[in-house]
Amino acid sequence: MSREIPPDVLAELRASVRSLRRELESRFGVGEALADPSEASDSLDEQSLEDDPGAEREPAPERLGPGWLQQLRSQLGAQLDEFDVVKLYESLRERIAIPGSGDISAEVDDFGLDERYLQRARRWLDWLYESWWRVDVTGIEGVPDAPRVLFVANTAGILPWDALMIAHAVERTHPSGRRPRPMVADWIATLPFSHSRLARLGAVRACAENAERLLAANQWVIAFPEGQKGALKPFRDRYRLQRFARGGFVSLAARLRAALVPVAVIGSEEVHPILFEPRILRRLLGVPIPVTPTFPLLGPLGVIPLPSRWRIRFGEPMWFDDVSAERALDPLYVNRTRERVRGAIQNLLDEELPRRRSVFA
Amino acid sequence: MAARREPELGRRGLAITGLGTFTGARLAERLLEGDAPPRIVALDLRLPRRLEGRVRFHRVDLTEPTADSLLAEILEKESCDAVLHAAFFTDPHPDLELSHEVEVVGSLHVMNAAAAAGVRKLVVTSTAQVYGPHPDNPGFLGEEHELRPHRQAHALRDRAEMEGLLRIFAQRHRDLVVTSLRPSWIMGPSFESSVTRRFESSRLVTLLGYDPLLQFLHEEDWLDAVELALERDAPGALNLAGDGVLPLSTLLRLAGKRSLPLPHPLMYRAAQLDSLARTGDPPAAFFDYLRFGWVVDTRRARELLGFEPIYTTQEAWMSFVVARKLRGYR
Repeated sequence: MSREIPPDVLAELRASVRSLRRELESRFGVGEALADPSEASDSLDEQSLEDDPGAEREPAPERLGPGWLQQLRSQLGAQLDEFDVVKLYESLRERIAIPGSGDISAEVDDFGLDERYLQRARRWLDWLYESWWRVDVTGIEGVPDAPRVLFVANTAGILPWDALMIAHAVERTHPSGRRPRPMVADWIATLPFSHSRLARLGAVRACAENAERLLAANQWVIAFPEGQKGALKPFRDRYRLQRFARGGFVSLAARLRAALVPVAVIGSEEVHPILFEPRILRRLLGVPIPVTPTFPLLGPLGVIPLPSRWRIRFGEPMWFDDVSAERALDPLYVNRTRERVRGAIQNLLDEELPRRRSVFA
Repeated sequence: MAARREPELGRRGLAITGLGTFTGARLAERLLEGDAPPRIVALDLRLPRRLEGRVRFHRVDLTEPTADSLLAEILEKESCDAVLHAAFFTDPHPDLELSHEVEVVGSLHVMNAAAAAGVRKLVVTSTAQVYGPHPDNPGFLGEEHELRPHRQAHALRDRAEMEGLLRIFAQRHRDLVVTSLRPSWIMGPSFESSVTRRFESSRLVTLLGYDPLLQFLHEEDWLDAVELALERDAPGALNLAGDGVLPLSTLLRLAGKRSLPLPHPLMYRAAQLDSLARTGDPPAAFFDYLRFGWVVDTRRARELLGFEPIYTTQEAWMSFVVARKLRGYR
């Protein structure tokens, strides 16, 4: 159809569209969002004016009199006038909002959670959840809709993917739609880039004061009592729970009357298979540098987690309503309960592990 | 008139050390403009001109070895029942020894003089920076948290040492109400320090990859808190900060300032000489406070002092930014 338009007119039209495209690119710096320049007029219509009902793709080819050119010009001009740059900018930002470049709101909560940032990050978390790790959730119906819930889970790997995914799983599948706040290892704060982003997504540093403050404010919290030992456990020890710190989480749950839910995450321990962790590097750099088959061999690419298939299983909640305040601080009781929780998570892991056919399927 | 009020005022003598500092001068002016101004006894090296004739001035040099007995004498003669100790350098002083003499030894003189003169209350202006920036800080630091100031920041190390001496002093003198106020960074239209000067420029050097949560206290809220601490009895340390926390990047964006993120190992080395000349500290002593969080919990000040800051962190920051913009800084 387009061959019916005189070539000089077409060239002029293309030139004007190209200049518009250049302007958009220089303003927003996203060449990929708009398509190939050879099909500029079509692609502009498709990509950025798609929700504009008056988008005129073709000029009326029959009326080749002097009138149609002016009509085309005036139509195009009117379209460009109502072409909302701000709206386009927002939609482009929406489309390319990767964590870190998306914009941020002027208010954050006490621990730095940024609702707007989280909203933008959700599509990435959704993608990780649905497509990358294909997470299966079981036992969520057992999680009570109590004001205070403390999730206790197994962990592995330097980057807290498991923390993000458990939080996401609870938010997506639990009827209350609440998003628990994961607690992450404190040396995450010494790594550049990671901590500010995790904080915006709702993570807090793992320590008793933070957990207590969050639970007291009726927030849900995810704890990883294996801590650094868990994060750095070698691949051969996968799904073998390491020792659980000092059991501070037990006395906390007992004192604050929080329901304690054991959580087993299958699959997360294969995303960064740690071969070994050289002590000398930790001593030199001050942070643990684990060696995986891909890191540091492939550099930044080695940080990409492997796409194993995940299963998150929530166990039976434990209640501490009948535990007195003194008992909640009794070391023997705390120790015993801590081991009970550890056993519960290990049992869940041992039940789930034989059920999967392979790591990636 | 003055004679009629004299006995009442005699009971309410307030000694302010470091009248020349922002806190000392502004608080004195504020109290003098109030309904029942106390008799203000000013102790400093020199008297600010705008307070001439309105306060009773005594020249005291805290670095002199016998400053304590001189101070005790003045406090007794003027029958002061409260001492506000604000004689600290607002900025880290490049002369480390002088700084130590004034901040630690000088404070010790003030404490001993207060005890000897039978003063009822001692309020000391410290800072929340004494907690130090650490990756393992809890989200909110309580007053009982260990003081771990940045180890390269000599002024803050001195301040923490002073706080330690103050705690021992308070334990020994139970009859004396000893309060130390620990404000987070003070921001406002007129307060100036090395910190506000850093935030004044339109382009702030930040550390690549770090974006800590910050708190600010508005200068008027700070003066309110000092006044409250003099009025009410709240022994111990008190954290002071505006409501809310904001990441550094958000603060800069709100102010329309640009950040210049530099990798910290590089920047620390490059800025070493300049920073040493200005503050006597390597750059890490300041920039680590823009690297790790040191957010304080202000619940104790709310409960014991009834301190309710009028400005949130964001409002204090914006008030600072707007005032500087109007004045032609950027």
